[in-house]
Amino acid sequence: MTRPVLPRVMPDVSSSPAPADLAAVPRRPRLRPAAGGGRRRGAGDPAAATATARELWLAVHLPDYILESLRLGGDAGRDAGGDRAAAPVVAVDLARGGKVVCDADARATAAGITPGMALNSALAVEPTLRVLSRDPRRERALLEAVARVAQAFTPRVSLEPPDAVLLELRGSLRLFGGARRLCASMGAQLASHGLAPRLALTPTPLASLWFARAGEQVLLRRPGSLPARLAPLPLACTRWPERTLQLLATMGVRRVGECLRLPRDGFARRFEPRLRLELDRAMGHAPDTRRAFVAAERYVVSRDLEPEIEDTTRLQGAIEPLLDALCRFLQVRGAAVESLDLRLRHREAAPTRLRLRFAGPVSEAARIADLLRERLARTMLPGPVRGLRLRSAPLVEARAEAGELFGNGHHCAAAVPQLVERLRARLGAEAVHGLSLVAEHRPEAAQENGDVLLLPSGNRCISAKTVRKGKSHRSPMTGEYLRFPRPAWLLADPQPLEGDATPRYEGPLEMEEGPERIESGWWDGRDVRRDYYVVRNPAGVRLWIFRERGARGGWFLHGVFG
Amino acid sequence: MSLDDLLRHPALWRAREQGGSSSPAGLPTGYPELDRCLPGGGWPSRGLIEILTDRTGIGELTLLLPALARLCGTADAAAHRDAVGTSYGTLHDSHGWLAWISPPYSPYAPALAAGGIDVRRMLVARATPAEWAMEQALRSGACSAVLGWAACRDRQSLRRLQLAAEQACCFAVLFRALRAAHEASSAVLRIALEGSRDGLELRILKSRGGRTTSLRLAAIGSTASAPAH
Repeated sequence: MTRPVLPRVMPDVSSSPAPADLAAVPRRPRLRPAAGGGRRRGAGDPAAATATARELWLAVHLPDYILESLRLGGDAGRDAGGDRAAAPVVAVDLARGGKVVCDADARATAAGITPGMALNSALAVEPTLRVLSRDPRRERALLEAVARVAQAFTPRVSLEPPDAVLLELRGSLRLFGGARRLCASMGAQLASHGLAPRLALTPTPLASLWFARAGEQVLLRRPGSLPARLAPLPLACTRWPERTLQLLATMGVRRVGECLRLPRDGFARRFEPRLRLELDRAMGHAPDTRRAFVAAERYVVSRDLEPEIEDTTRLQGAIEPLLDALCRFLQVRGAAVESLDLRLRHREAAPTRLRLRFAGPVSEAARIADLLRERLARTMLPGPVRGLRLRSAPLVEARAEAGELFGNGHHCAAAVPQLVERLRARLGAEAVHGLSLVAEHRPEAAQENGDVLLLPSGNRCISAKTVRKGKSHRSPMTGEYLRFPRPAWLLADPQPLEGDATPRYEGPLEMEEGPERIESGWWDGRDVRRDYYVVRNPAGVRLWIFRERGARGGWFLHGVFG
Repeated sequence: MSLDDLLRHPALWRAREQGGSSSPAGLPTGYPELDRCLPGGGWPSRGLIEILTDRTGIGELTLLLPALARLCGTADAAAHRDAVGTSYGTLHDSHGWLAWISPPYSPYAPALAAGGIDVRRMLVARATPAEWAMEQALRSGACSAVLGWAACRDRQSLRRLQLAAEQACCFAVLFRALRAAHEASSAVLRIALEGSRDGLELRILKSRGGRTTSLRLAAIGSTASAPAH
């Protein structure tokens, strides 16, 4: 590390050209008085008190993550073996205009290209340069891939976007034969993926991160040694805002150790309190909680079918083993799926895509196969199927079924979602619905078709006894007093009746009850102004008809009494 | 399994018990005249009930409504359970769902709720092969009542429905056209309905363990009676 040649300012705070607030508190308690941390020892800080820390954090930092992410699953890797392999590669950020080099590989660096250089200058230096566009999605995927590798070593993995992953390894050391071996094996695994990580292990996540960013591959087990080892690190590894770093540089503070020597209060007042908290966290004086990375797992399997399959029955037979494998996969993880995507490839036609949606998390092969059978039964294949791909939705936690003690429950609640999903698989989602009451005077708006499965179950209707006792027909849910009867069947759209003054429906109609005037709905444009009557036709059918009041007039049939 | 258990099996019918008290207790229809005509004093507890009618709106739902309300756990379910015993006890305990398969019109929730049906536990399915959907509903074990409107042109589909209803132990009603009255059917109970000014005319065409008869329910649909709800 070369020392900057800027004029050095004396670290003595009282004589530094700092503002008055810093100068006014010259010798307050310091962030870190002396190397070794003796002041805090035994003062309720368990991490500092014990020889070895409670936690050990390994930071995996990927300095070349931009190019590595493009190489990982991308086309850069595919034609790397081709004739262009020799060309130096740089990446640019198209989202920011693509004029500046973000990352350069070893060949480009050897040619003198550095990140931050203008692309035109880079091309002038190296005309054979290959320019790639960086892809944030791939960068994220790279990080997640690293985290999945890391999950083989410890369950506590957290992402540190954009370029690092943190692992808590305290509990895994013995299993993997110590920190050194663990780091070596982690590094080897990542190297086999073509990555060049920098690893640093310390008792705190931030310190590990700073070491790794600074390129120092350290292995520190004792928190006591942290301040002394952190002190020479350049402040740039903290990734504080550029302005703050510049301000600190003008004060002659360029290294972590120099920053630690500044008075705490003044430092917090002058800069953001967050920065002081970060320093505390790096030293292990403040807790630093990390969100654990949870891999969004899916089950994806492809199969080529040889010979091609034309009928859905045999297709079902071909898919069922895959479903069994899927369910074993789910069982091991204690997981379930809520939907499955099936893609059937044909020779010429576009692939057929089927989506199986379940009423809830499912992990039983028989149930999935059942649904698949119904779904395939109503699928028209455009041609023979050459191959298929089964892809699960992100896994969800499986719900344990509570069994009944005596197993005599005849109508189990779980059967309803299954019935609904089976009917829907064959008939379509719209064909199956539930009903709910709405407090509305307009007859057609007094009920709604709802999703069966969203309806609250287990609650009971208000006793019909109370309905019958009172003379008025009180609708239990709406609280609306129905002094007039309502038909059990309602027509979706009122049907016009013939006859002007006296309506007819398969013969002359005989009035039984009415009129009941319903006038409502002027506020939402579906204004209703009707007089309803209960009538009977010669065949003995009781009907609910209305006369439209207002300009249009006319008689309409709206319901049938069942 | 003892001999008594075997004899009590609902699939077993003994001629000696015709109309007797030992036939499995039925689900009260809510109409005492009808109860008297049915073995077990109500709708059969197992098997398919066929209702044959050409018209919608003569009171076919009113006929079923008291029984459906009972299955929804409303009305005097507890009292009934004490009186009747076990046959429908499981139904009352569980309050299963009520499935409507391919109804001719949309069932109207306010009227049904006023009749004592828990509309939140209703499931309406529009299926072109209604027989298939009805069979699924019966076999699922989730429903305490399944009402289906299906043509059942071939005897095989009717037979399948009857078998499913037999095993499901739920209130299964199949509505068909009146012309099917001349065809053979495996249903447990077949009733032809006709509306008239003096009430609903019922012709019991077949009743397993009971006898065929006809009666008129003045409570349903007669001009003299008050509206049913």
